Amino acid sequence: MSDFDPGRRRFLGHLGLAGLGALGASSFLSACASSASGPTTSSGSGAVTIQSNLSSPQAKAAMEKLIETFNGQGKGTASLNTIASETFRTQLPTYLTSANPPDLYTWYAGSVANDYASKNLLLDVSDVWKSLGDYPQSLRTLSTDASGKQIFVPMNNYWWGFFYRKSNFAKWGVQEPKNWTEFLALCETLKSKGIPPIGIGLGDTPWVASAWFDYLNIRINGAPFHRELLAGKQRFDDPKVKAVFTRWREALPYFDPKGKAYPFQEATTALLAGKTGMFLIGTFFADAAPKDALGDLDFFRFPIIDPAVPLAEEAPTDGFFASAKTANPTGTKALLSYLAGVEAQEAYVKASSGIVLPANPKAKASDSPLVVKGKAMLDEAKELTQFFNRDSSDALQPTADTALTKFIDKPDQIDAILREWQAGAEKVFKG
Amino acid sequence: MNKLRTGAFHTGMILLSLLWLGPVLWVVVMSTRSFDDIAAHGVGSLPRSFTLDTYRQAWTDGGELRALINSMIVTIPSVALSLGLAAMAAFALSRFRIPGRRTILLLMLAGNLLPPQILLIPVAKFSELTGLYDTIWALIAVQVGFGLGFYTFVLHGFMRDLPGEIQEAATIDGAGTAQIFTRVMLPLTRPALAALGALSFTWIFNDLLWAITVLRTDDNMPVTPALLALQGQFVSSWNVIAAGTVIAAVPTVAVFLRFQRHFVSGLAIGAVK
Repeated sequence: MSDFDPGRRRFLGHLGLAGLGALGASSFLSACASSASGPTTSSGSGAVTIQSNLSSPQAKAAMEKLIETFNGQGKGTASLNTIASETFRTQLPTYLTSANPPDLYTWYAGSVANDYASKNLLLDVSDVWKSLGDYPQSLRTLSTDASGKQIFVPMNNYWWGFFYRKSNFAKWGVQEPKNWTEFLALCETLKSKGIPPIGIGLGDTPWVASAWFDYLNIRINGAPFHRELLAGKQRFDDPKVKAVFTRWREALPYFDPKGKAYPFQEATTALLAGKTGMFLIGTFFADAAPKDALGDLDFFRFPIIDPAVPLAEEAPTDGFFASAKTANPTGTKALLSYLAGVEAQEAYVKASSGIVLPANPKAKASDSPLVVKGKAMLDEAKELTQFFNRDSSDALQPTADTALTKFIDKPDQIDAILREWQAGAEKVFKG
Repeated sequence: MNKLRTGAFHTGMILLSLLWLGPVLWVVVMSTRSFDDIAAHGVGSLPRSFTLDTYRQAWTDGGELRALINSMIVTIPSVALSLGLAAMAAFALSRFRIPGRRTILLLMLAGNLLPPQILLIPVAKFSELTGLYDTIWALIAVQVGFGLGFYTFVLHGFMRDLPGEIQEAATIDGAGTAQIFTRVMLPLTRPALAALGALSFTWIFNDLLWAITVLRTDDNMPVTPALLALQGQFVSSWNVIAAGTVIAAVPTVAVFLRFQRHFVSGLAIGAVK
């Protein structure tokens, strides 16, 4: 140590000087703070801010166009804030609980929205729903929280199904199956031709497996049991849940063994290249398909297992909710009414390349054969479910991912897996 | 025999550098492929298309210009402020007998051992309390605060080894502490400052965690969250993201090339006496 002591007095003198410097720096910082926080507060009462997770280029462009149109109508002003969807997912609780939150958010209907509503974070939008009289009852129920007020405004929904290439099915000489037996027979035929029948992509996207669980459960035990299970009112180690996995095991040998390694986007590529026969996935996967393959795509509904169980389908609903702390409830509701209207929803469907169905029954969906078929399938369903995480919570999803990937690896250990799942779920419901 | 050894060395090194450059090349190649090519053949396949439109898309649709400007607005003041403060602190801690200076230093270092993840919520709440939430200033303050401990530690080690005679000579010549600091210590510490400057520039420029913690308006986001925002909810245009990544890497590479000389000499200083 080559410490150097220039004398106590001088040292103290300079310490004083340094303190003065620090004081200057802090006043500089606070000056910046006051100048920077100015516009934030003014935007709270003036323009309505929409925090959007629709970050894919087409969806983002579609939203930008909608907001531009709204601003041109003179009913208020809005500003769009597009955040990466993964960032949005993790930051949403922070946004909602912050002192000066954004006004409006894109998010999912159902249990996830109700969770926030039960914490009094969401704005009562029953006023908006007064003008949405022609919306189907199912969407109204979905948008209503436990206390009976509407807290959500749906924008659109989409469906899940077994997608395949028409040209490939023709080449292999196979048809869409109607029920579980036909489905297994189809798998057997494809396997005998050397094609892995069922594509899946679990690497990075393990949640895709939940679609299989959801569908088998609503086909075998019905949608009400499924909802109760996901709400913690039933147990995962129940024999009824085990029955789901007994069925699943019948189809398990037909899964593409490579599917554990890559994400669903690559599973899409494999399906389109004819390396797998079919793929249980939501319509959003079509965004990952080259444009020339879109016309060749078709799908069939998840095969019926027990005809006595009322027909239910997965139809995840996207839309908006607003912060209870919004400084401008009137403007926020005006924007919500606009977004729920025919004009906005048709414009969104047209501008976004995704295959989605508008929530407003008067708004026209795209008239491609695929969309017509999807809409007919959902209209026929007695009950609609959302998806595993949307019907439960983002906290329960990882427990499902662990259990389901483990089951696909080691189907023999199902009893232990279900016990673990129940234990994991109990922690989530308690916490 | 010697020739053989040289040959083996060179082939080995070439293979090693290829291993190193492989992922970078992969990203560059991916950035020139069309979306349909990637969608049809996967991200890992050989390119069957060539386009530079991805760069235009990243630049205009992805808003990279705005994001790069934001990154610079955050990075440059953060680097300057944190290095300035760290140099002052290191000077004081290494050259003066401040009571408890070891404790202060260890405390600063200990702060660095905390994983930043556990501080996310306190930082978000604190920035909200101070009214800085969702402003660039919050990000600058966080970056300065979190860098300070480590920079002080490094600079302290460096300044401690500078010969005390220089300082004594300056004092005899009538220089005050401030003068010694600015005219004697800082010039001598230049190699270390340059090396740390290049490092901290890269760290702050590449940071994602703090940016998404204290910011929520897309117009304020620096380049890393902006790149993330190019990803869709389910499906991403990997070619555009790759192009955006290449663009975002340019500033850090430029800084490294510029400071390379200082960087190497900064590392080697004190190695031989």
